[in-house]
Amino acid sequence: MPRIETSLGPLEYDDRAVLEFPLGLPGFEHRKRFLLVERPDLWPLVLLQSVDDAALRFLTMPVHTIDPAYHLSVSADDLKAIEVRGPEKLLALAIVCLRENQPATANLLGPVVINQSANRGVQSVRDDAKYSAHHPVPGPEVPAC
Amino acid sequence: MLIIRRGRGESLYIGDNVEIEVLEISGSQVKLGIRAPREIPVLRKEILLTRKANQEASESASGGALADLIAQFRNR
Repeated sequence: MPRIETSLGPLEYDDRAVLEFPLGLPGFEHRKRFLLVERPDLWPLVLLQSVDDAALRFLTMPVHTIDPAYHLSVSADDLKAIEVRGPEKLLALAIVCLRENQPATANLLGPVVINQSANRGVQSVRDDAKYSAHHPVPGPEVPAC
Repeated sequence: MLIIRRGRGESLYIGDNVEIEVLEISGSQVKLGIRAPREIPVLRKEILLTRKANQEASESASGGALADLIAQFRNR
């Protein structure tokens, strides 16, 4: 099985699990192949690992873990990029920015949207001002009902 | 910030070779046409913000700060 040496240890993967990002990611347009890595020790974070650059990885979190009321809005062009033709269950992840001695933030303005049935992904940057690219996480505690 | 009012069909220049023209105004949206040399990127602000956030995120810590963040979610 192919294998990448990542900063969090070696990763063996199945080629069929590779997600194609036809547009790459803003700022990383040339990186078009990623893997989603879920590990119990990272939950609720999910790693988005570049297949072609072992040093490139993003910590992500499902948007609804950050904001249960998040309303996903994906442009027609972005839906086309990930081959969505009809109703399709999409996975939406926010990339987390984590720096030592600074509060963690997540990009809810441009979530990574994945069409798992086509193994395609895109970072769909909204054109409304409803969400922030630096949303604090975990954010205020949501009181239990 | 320099503030200029322009109506439909009117333009402004940034430097000698970047022109911004107001093409259409409808409701609360303005359609802008931009003429700029290829080497000057023209991006909506949100893309720029996301690019910067991605750059920072790609340099994200994987040590203590990561463990702390995970712990904060598990302790909720």
